[in-house]
Amino acid sequence: MAAGAAKAAAQAEAAYKRSPGLPAWLVLAPLLIWLVLFVVVPTIMLILLSFGEQKGLGTIHFTFTLENYARAFNWTWLKVFLISVWYAFLTTILCVAIGYPAAYFIGRSPEKLKTLLLTLVMIPFWTSFLIRTYAWISILSKEGLVNAFLVSAKIVPDPITILYTPFASVLGLVYNYLPFMILPIYTSVERLDNALIEAAYDLGAGPVRAFSQVIIPLTSPGIVAGALLVFVPSIAMFAITNLMGGGDPPTIGEVIYKQFTSGRNQPFGAALGCLLLLIFFISLWLTRRRREE
Amino acid sequence: MKEIAHLLMFAVLTAATLAGCGKPPEPPQTSKSPSPSPSTTPAPQQAAAEPAGDPDKKLNLFCWSEYVPQEIIDTFTEETGIKVSVESYASNEEMLAKLLAGGGNYDLIQPSEYVIEGLIKENLLAPIDHAAIPNIKNIAPEFTSMSFDPGNKFSIPYMAGAVGIVVNTELVQDEIKGYNDVFQTKFSKNIVVLDDAREIVGWAFDTLGIPINEASDENLEKVKPVLAKWLPLVKVFDSDSPKTALLNGDVALGVIWGGEGAILVNEDKKFKWIVPAEGSHLFVDNLAIPKTAAHVKNALLFMNFVLRPDISAKISEAFPYLNPNAAARELLTPAQRSNPASYPTAEELATMQTFKDIGEQATKIDELVTSQKAQ
Repeated sequence: MAAGAAKAAAQAEAAYKRSPGLPAWLVLAPLLIWLVLFVVVPTIMLILLSFGEQKGLGTIHFTFTLENYARAFNWTWLKVFLISVWYAFLTTILCVAIGYPAAYFIGRSPEKLKTLLLTLVMIPFWTSFLIRTYAWISILSKEGLVNAFLVSAKIVPDPITILYTPFASVLGLVYNYLPFMILPIYTSVERLDNALIEAAYDLGAGPVRAFSQVIIPLTSPGIVAGALLVFVPSIAMFAITNLMGGGDPPTIGEVIYKQFTSGRNQPFGAALGCLLLLIFFISLWLTRRRREE
Repeated sequence: MKEIAHLLMFAVLTAATLAGCGKPPEPPQTSKSPSPSPSTTPAPQQAAAEPAGDPDKKLNLFCWSEYVPQEIIDTFTEETGIKVSVESYASNEEMLAKLLAGGGNYDLIQPSEYVIEGLIKENLLAPIDHAAIPNIKNIAPEFTSMSFDPGNKFSIPYMAGAVGIVVNTELVQDEIKGYNDVFQTKFSKNIVVLDDAREIVGWAFDTLGIPINEASDENLEKVKPVLAKWLPLVKVFDSDSPKTALLNGDVALGVIWGGEGAILVNEDKKFKWIVPAEGSHLFVDNLAIPKTAAHVKNALLFMNFVLRPDISAKISEAFPYLNPNAAARELLTPAQRSNPASYPTAEELATMQTFKDIGEQATKIDELVTSQKAQ
């Protein structure tokens, strides 16, 4: 029997290690081609471009200079990076704080309500995010809905400034990326084993302890995935910070965009882009290491 | 290595290009011209039309977004049977990047003055045949001798405009005359300006009496303290639609494009347009034909069409900038013509400077403004 079990285990392992045959490659081909064309090749080009120089009207010369990187490590640009990372960090924290209870509630609701609630979470995706951002402008502006309410309810004497502040930027980011936090957490909450929670209670844990030592660790893959999905895109998002934050302070996405347009320095923009890529890889590596622990 | 550069730009601009390529090339439709004769072959019809176009009835127009009304493009297609495919851009540099990358096969582009200068210098524009555009006579004399293209050898002016100050007089009672009156501590976080480093530095140069094109390192050093004072006072940086923040009452003052100012002045009497006392900047957007164009004759037809007074007046109606077409101006209503944001007086025009190509200093200007913004 022991030999049989060992054989079965070996077979299972062999199944894992078996290299994919031609049919598997054929099925994978569209994805691989897509990845190579639109992820690998552009990334290599970006890296190459970051060692170039732009001359005259905009022709690129490949001189393999390190100048662009030397310039990037200047306080001006590092500060822009720090501001963007700070915004993204705030956005992630707020998304966890708001998204976790929402996801938990949805995950624990009866089946029918669950479908309805999930649909509600996804409905905003049916409209272009730019249109939704413009809607926020008319909600938050001095002559907007929020101020009209605050003034008529006599909460404030005069309209207050909400739009074009860092607060508005972060609000816009949280609003836009919240579903990316709710959905992965919801998936882990749904898979949560009730027996484990009951066991925690049986063994004398209170609600706080059961939550912090059982529920949170069990749903942490969802939190990590959600945090990554929110943090990474919000660093580089500049449409929202421009439209709702008034473009002040500048964020890294906007600065890179300007290098490719009015700044007329694509290689420098590419160098900043490569540094941004590095931040993404570091955050990916950090979350992976966490998962392995 | 150059191919890689091209591919690279292509990759970077893929998203934008995809957006622009929304319109698939349709089969060339037969002429819809309102010719009443039930002629059997299209050939005699074409011969009847006065200036002949290319045999291939297509025109690839590469223009600014929100600048060429769809209505006039439709009229052009109706009259000539030439199918226009439009691709748009949001900055001169975006247009340059695509043009230099060699994709797109554009027949007609719409660069601003300093870009025309650079394109002529690099020998990238085709000279235009004045005989094919009789309507060129409609251009006001002051626009036929612009320094970037004297005699309109390579380009015709499309629209022009000044940059100036808009004041919401309900919120600001002080008399505002120039940039120094706008950028005061008491108006802190009550100002919208164009999100354009070269513009902002140009205004700062104006207040110091430095010509706006003399962007030497030394002069940039001189404007640094001015920017350090101004930029923290600004609430919104917006080049696309600076009128929004003013309309919504979020700011009381703005330094914005004339066309945007004209819309505000039309909208509400409380908005006042002021040409800055220290000096201002006049921009001229033009139509030009790249050397690589495949449909040069069609492009010339379109140029002539745009210079027709009735068509040019329609463009003014949609986008109230300064119309360089003197014959079209006569067709405008007195209200349109007297809008101070669209039409500066002759004295004001005399004080305005146009941008010249400043090459790599543009990069330094961008860095200077970004560093001051991030303070």
